[in-house]
Amino acid sequence: MKLSTQYNRVNILISSIILIITGVIYYFFIHLILTNKLDKDLAVEEEEIRQYTNTYQKLPLPVSYLDQQVSYSNLPVNSNNIREFSNTSYLNQKENEQEPGRTLVTTVNLNNKNIQVTITKSRVESEDLVRVILLITLGVTVILLVSLFLINRFVLSRLWMPFYNTLKRIKSFEVTKMEAVNGDPTKIDEFIELNQSVDAMANRVKQDYRELKSFTDNASHEMMTPLAVINSKLDSLLQTEPFTAQQGALLEDIYQATGRLSRLHQSLLLLAKIENNLIMDSQEIDLKNLVESKVRQFQELFERSGLATEVKLSNKTVIMSRYLADIVLNNLFSNAVRHNLQGGKIVIELSDTGLVISNTGKNFNEKDRLFDRFSKSNESEGMGLGLAITKQVCILYGYHITYSQMNDMHQFSIFFNPED
Amino acid sequence: MKILIIEDEYALYESIFAYFTGDGNICEYAPNFDIASEKIELYSYDCILLDLGLPGGEGLDLLSQLKKSNKKDGVLIISARHSLDDRLSGLDLGADDYLVKPFHLSELKARVTAIVRRKNFDGDNVICFNEIKVDISAMKIIVNDKPVILTKKEFDLLVYFLSNKNKVVTKNAMAEHLWGDEMDMSDDFDFIYTHVKNLKKKLAEAGAKDYIKSVYGIGYKFIAT
Repeated sequence: MKLSTQYNRVNILISSIILIITGVIYYFFIHLILTNKLDKDLAVEEEEIRQYTNTYQKLPLPVSYLDQQVSYSNLPVNSNNIREFSNTSYLNQKENEQEPGRTLVTTVNLNNKNIQVTITKSRVESEDLVRVILLITLGVTVILLVSLFLINRFVLSRLWMPFYNTLKRIKSFEVTKMEAVNGDPTKIDEFIELNQSVDAMANRVKQDYRELKSFTDNASHEMMTPLAVINSKLDSLLQTEPFTAQQGALLEDIYQATGRLSRLHQSLLLLAKIENNLIMDSQEIDLKNLVESKVRQFQELFERSGLATEVKLSNKTVIMSRYLADIVLNNLFSNAVRHNLQGGKIVIELSDTGLVISNTGKNFNEKDRLFDRFSKSNESEGMGLGLAITKQVCILYGYHITYSQMNDMHQFSIFFNPED
Repeated sequence: MKILIIEDEYALYESIFAYFTGDGNICEYAPNFDIASEKIELYSYDCILLDLGLPGGEGLDLLSQLKKSNKKDGVLIISARHSLDDRLSGLDLGADDYLVKPFHLSELKARVTAIVRRKNFDGDNVICFNEIKVDISAMKIIVNDKPVILTKKEFDLLVYFLSNKNKVVTKNAMAEHLWGDEMDMSDDFDFIYTHVKNLKKKLAEAGAKDYIKSVYGIGYKFIAT
């Protein structure tokens, strides 16, 4: 939930409750005041009747005006005096309909007779007044709520604009891009501070990245040099024949290990380079052509393992580094040969959507870790970096690579447009 | 061949020097940028081995200097930087080849020999060794005036051996030469054995002497004496 939504929700809920309570209290007080006023009018009327009776020793005529009715009735002699107000309804004769009224029932003494006087006044006007007041209150409430909502909606979202811009910058931040990212200027202290912190963090990260990168470069250079010396000294040593068979075997072991070490080192460097997007020579590549030449190049390996090849290629060009395309194909092809069975089969299919290389082969267990670094089956001679590199290349160009097994065919598929 | 080795690592220079001089080649040494720059200016070489990371300057600048003074020396860049940019800019600036450290001395020798051959024999690129004649540009072998049909790999192998006469060449180096180090099949040397066997057989059938000897299972040696 967005901050403004949350804030809006609380704000509007509380405002509504307060306004409703205020409205109710308002209604009751006005009602009370108006009723008091009616009662006072009724008391004045009663007083007039009483004075009239005292002065003239007779009852005034039971008049009935538009909004006031007076009626008399005799009471038994020994009945008590009563005087009470009540809400009643009466018949408005002019309009011939029942209307709400306020009634005072009282007694007057005339010639020692108790006479009950009922005075009724219309409540219609006061009810109308209350209704108008209520409506105005409600109207004000609605206007207030709507304006609160609009303020929150538009003013708040504009106020938060710098925050969202900063967020966008953080999201699109890439450590490999060296240009500085400046925030939008804002007058709000919190956002200024946020921007400053983000900039400081970005700079620190970039600084660390630069240092790490130059460390890697230097380390690789420094490691390659002794490795080159070992290699060349070995070559020189080899020229000082003759050796015994035992020495020969030792030398061969050293050769193997040195070769592995330098290949491992080169693979790791390559991986780091791909991850940091340092390989730039993207160009249009005729993939069909490249796969065909790769098949020719591997022909000898296919034949030696007695592999039957099935090649189905359609035209496809991709934009990528030729060097990396070469490496990906090399890795996939060598895997398909290396993990194949004697007399097995390799199927290579290139279509507009993707490249699929499937081969027969033994079952293996570590399917989940297939693309991880240094994950390899026990009998594999490789270093376990080939598929990791292949995957990184695919990620770099937005391709999707998957592994699947169908019957005894192991299948690697690269999809060039994974979104479709 | 007259060769200038521009390399700050003395141990590496020693090995290269030892490997190259046995064959009647002359090697000179430049351990830093200034000495290298001076030597390039003063003398001509058949081939210059250029390390890019040099004390005192950038190796690529030497390349520009060479081109500016219109020298025709062959240049082979040897660098620990396995960077595509360096490779491309090096070749753009007129280097003849690029070799990444660590390398096999036999590979270095083969490449240097190829560069020098290309520079010296314009159009007529033929290696003669006793009864064997190799026409590089036409990719033909003639033994005792009779053509021998070799596969591409066998042909490459023979040229490789001829560049490394009297040297023990490891199967490792041969595999990398034939298939490239990126194919990563270099742990598997049965191919080498097969190719060498076929090459020896074809040469023997054409009446050539048996020059290629196996050495302790590590590699082979082309014995020229």
